[in-house]
Amino acid sequence: MPQPLPPKEAALFRTVVRNYDDKQYKRGLKNADIILKKHPKHGDTTAMKALILNAQGKTDEAFALGKVALMNDMKSSICWHVYGLLWRAVKKYDDAIKAYKQALQIDPDSAQILRDLALLQMQTRDYPGYVQSRITMLQARSQLIQNWTALAVAHHLNDDRATAEKVLDTYESTLKTTPSSRDIEHAEIVMYKNRLVAEQGDYQRALDHLDSAARSNLDRLAVLERRAEYLTKLRRNEEAAAVYRALLNRNPEHPEYYDLLEAVVELGSAEERKKIYDEYAEKYPRADAPRRLPLNFLSGNDFVQAAKEYLTLMLNKGVPSTFANLKHLYSDSFKKETLATLAEEYISSHNDSADATNGDGTKGQPAALYYLAQHYNYHLSRHLDKAMHYVDMAIEKVPQSVEFHMTKARIWKHKGNLDKASEWMERARTLDTRDRYICTKAAKYLLRNNKNEEALKMMGHFTRAETIGGPFMDLVDMQAVWYLTEDGEAFARRGEEGPALRRFELVSNIFDTWVEDQFDFHAFSLRKGFIRAYIDMLRWEDRIREHPFYSRAALDAVALYVKRDDRAAAARANGDVTNGEDAAERKKAAKKAAKEKQKLEREAAERAAKKDPNKGAKDGANRQIDDVAGLKLLDAEPLSTAMKYVSHLLQFSPKNIHAQLAGFDVYIRRKKYVLALGCLNAAIALDASNPKVHERVIEFKHTIDPVLATLPPKVQDLIKSEFKAVPADNTAGQYNQEFLEAHKESPPHVVSAVKARKVLGEDPSKVEKELVALVKGEKVTFEQAGEILEVLKTWKSKEVDTFRALATGRWPQVTIFS
Amino acid sequence: MDIRLLQPSDLPLIQHANLENLPENYFLKYYLYHALSWPQLSYVAVDASRPRTSPYDHPKIVGYVLAKMEEEPSDGIPHGHITSLSVMRTHRRLGIAEKLMRQSQRAMVETFGAKYVSLHVRVSNVAAIRLYRDTLGFTVEKAEPKYYADGEDAHCMRLDLGPIRAQIAEEEKQMEKLTRAKPWVTWGEIRALAS
Repeated sequence: MPQPLPPKEAALFRTVVRNYDDKQYKRGLKNADIILKKHPKHGDTTAMKALILNAQGKTDEAFALGKVALMNDMKSSICWHVYGLLWRAVKKYDDAIKAYKQALQIDPDSAQILRDLALLQMQTRDYPGYVQSRITMLQARSQLIQNWTALAVAHHLNDDRATAEKVLDTYESTLKTTPSSRDIEHAEIVMYKNRLVAEQGDYQRALDHLDSAARSNLDRLAVLERRAEYLTKLRRNEEAAAVYRALLNRNPEHPEYYDLLEAVVELGSAEERKKIYDEYAEKYPRADAPRRLPLNFLSGNDFVQAAKEYLTLMLNKGVPSTFANLKHLYSDSFKKETLATLAEEYISSHNDSADATNGDGTKGQPAALYYLAQHYNYHLSRHLDKAMHYVDMAIEKVPQSVEFHMTKARIWKHKGNLDKASEWMERARTLDTRDRYICTKAAKYLLRNNKNEEALKMMGHFTRAETIGGPFMDLVDMQAVWYLTEDGEAFARRGEEGPALRRFELVSNIFDTWVEDQFDFHAFSLRKGFIRAYIDMLRWEDRIREHPFYSRAALDAVALYVKRDDRAAAARANGDVTNGEDAAERKKAAKKAAKEKQKLEREAAERAAKKDPNKGAKDGANRQIDDVAGLKLLDAEPLSTAMKYVSHLLQFSPKNIHAQLAGFDVYIRRKKYVLALGCLNAAIALDASNPKVHERVIEFKHTIDPVLATLPPKVQDLIKSEFKAVPADNTAGQYNQEFLEAHKESPPHVVSAVKARKVLGEDPSKVEKELVALVKGEKVTFEQAGEILEVLKTWKSKEVDTFRALATGRWPQVTIFS
Repeated sequence: MDIRLLQPSDLPLIQHANLENLPENYFLKYYLYHALSWPQLSYVAVDASRPRTSPYDHPKIVGYVLAKMEEEPSDGIPHGHITSLSVMRTHRRLGIAEKLMRQSQRAMVETFGAKYVSLHVRVSNVAAIRLYRDTLGFTVEKAEPKYYADGEDAHCMRLDLGPIRAQIAEEEKQMEKLTRAKPWVTWGEIRALAS
């Protein structure tokens, strides 16, 4: 039952609420304690106290007190609301929603509780629930525009566009005056409604609506784009073409407009097609797209002619991205060779160095040399010695060019010499020390060469000097995903698994933050009224973890966890229950971490001592990343920890074969055979001939055969009917042998087949010797040899040194073997 | 290269481009705030020529302009502001920065009725100042001493959007003339109009 307070205390209670809203936490607590002294069992006051404690970061205390409050007054909506807010603060959204619903049962008209519930329903994508909440909210306050648009959004997301449209119709019918044409909020509602009509597939009505309601809409670009789209759908091609032309006049650098225009004017021959582009090229002398795009579809002499014009123009200007803008043509070998020939011709016809005097001198002949250096550095036309030859000539002509030096560094990278690559990138950097781009590249090349400490120092040139915790903290704060990933990968290569895992986890945490970031916009965007952008944002957030930024770090983490689990399993098999080797590693890491921490503390103390004492220390003067050495992750059970990544990978990147293989690796080790098989079959569907898939097929066959009979009958049947990769009458050994014979010309396939022999129980030392022998294979590249070395290292093979010696002998310049 | 309106899915790589190029960095949420408050104003240049290697590939961002409207203009005049503009140094000399700026400026006028646009630039950034002043027509309004975290001064520059407004009005008038005569415009007419 509600617990009424005497007037004096009731007034004080209102003050406590105000204190909380004004963030006067200390005063709020004091006032709450005054009430509680007289009424120790007052639920609402106890709840408010819990809320204030929570705001002060005392989560555990807050939860304990929140429960006490509920015990004191189960019938109070305030107590339940606060309990919900506590859960919301720790991101346990389902629990928060339950508590809010309890609160609403007691006080169904509370706008505040309803609003909090609706926000969480959106965050958790409970669309039917959101519809209900927004209906109630609209009924309570129909004079607010945002309550109408919010209900429309609710129906829209709940896949009921017709009702969403009706809601907006009703809203419009309540308007007493026509909104001004400069009313941005109304303009957006019109365009949103138009989208709803179009998404129902009724393009005629969408077009009519656009013509009647959006003629002078403030979002001109959207009106034109939609108009063109609808006209195209309605096959009114000539009119659509006119609108695409209007769009191209606005922005002649958007290739999609040319494509769509071409589609509606239905031009046949390449010659006809090119006319459109020529027209825009002439009209916009500075436009790039109409000059470059025809190279995609021209062929033969027409291509040569157009390519020559384009290349000449670009080289005359010294546009550094010329190669980047053309390399997509290289899948066509005629175009690839033509471009190289044209660049060579350009060089011989521009032997006069006088034209290279403008700007930094990278125009004309040096630009062509630079083009050829990139040409021969590119994987489809690679000849690294030629690339080096051209880049050296370019550098000789323009010794100050950052770009030329960068390319030289990349050539060294492709040659496998990471020392030289990093060294040349550093030279490039010193040519322009005020540019962060080149500094970033220098740091990246240091990381590729496993120089984590130097790289961080390099990054420190441009991170904010005043960030407490130094450059690393600034990079984490600023969500520098690329850096954390490269840093982690370098640590992984160095065998420092704790820091590596921790960095991948930090990347994952950044994605958690990005998901959480949308929360504030659920209220903000409805208030601002940019509904289309808001919906685009929601759709993007729904699949945010499909970004390669996420999958790369996640795959790295899973690979490490699998490796750690295999090592622990091998140790157990050898009777070493404590996994002595990893335990020693852990000790070493802990020692190093302690030292590092001491160093940071000492530095922080020094900084604090130097600081102006009058300025006072800001919050968290000793800010540091928790467990930066990843000790907790080293202690965690590898496979269950890896599952967090695996489930995200499989949910968001199911078409990424590496995601399926990672899922397989974890599931099979956890003895989840059906799930492992699901991943395996998905991988086979994506690329059956992938050697990494073959390794898993063998592994599955070899693992499942001896245990199949012990599994529940249903599981047995399922596996028998779903596992078709190896014919039933074939043994794993035979199958592997057949695979080897079928692919004996392809080194990666051979490596996989040989590796599989070890899985099948062949004498490890024999398998290892076979792997070593592969280094002599004519077709083997140093990159593939590098992978073999990694396998041997993981197996702790005695052959590692022999292999290194042989590989170094064959590729003396490559640094990864030393 | 493709110049187009910013989409939310571009944000991680816009943030990445910013981190690679500039010392002034922001949380992803700040980019999101721009995308959801002024969705018409920010543009990106993407490298569209990279072959896709997976269905999850995101186009590489080689340049972006992040723009906003001043929310509470002290002079009471609606105007735009450039929060951040950057083009990878490997993609310079194609006029990408200028093209991005022109798209954004146009949208400022069309959608938000901006009268002028302002921005800050490092006094040492000669190339950027040349773009703003010589190519786009900005003028230096005043100096902002120690505007940047590292202590460097900024020029506060601005561009009167009046001429752009007049140009848009002229274009609209011509379009209107054509569309009033007939329900739609033919290709030939547009071509005639354009020349």
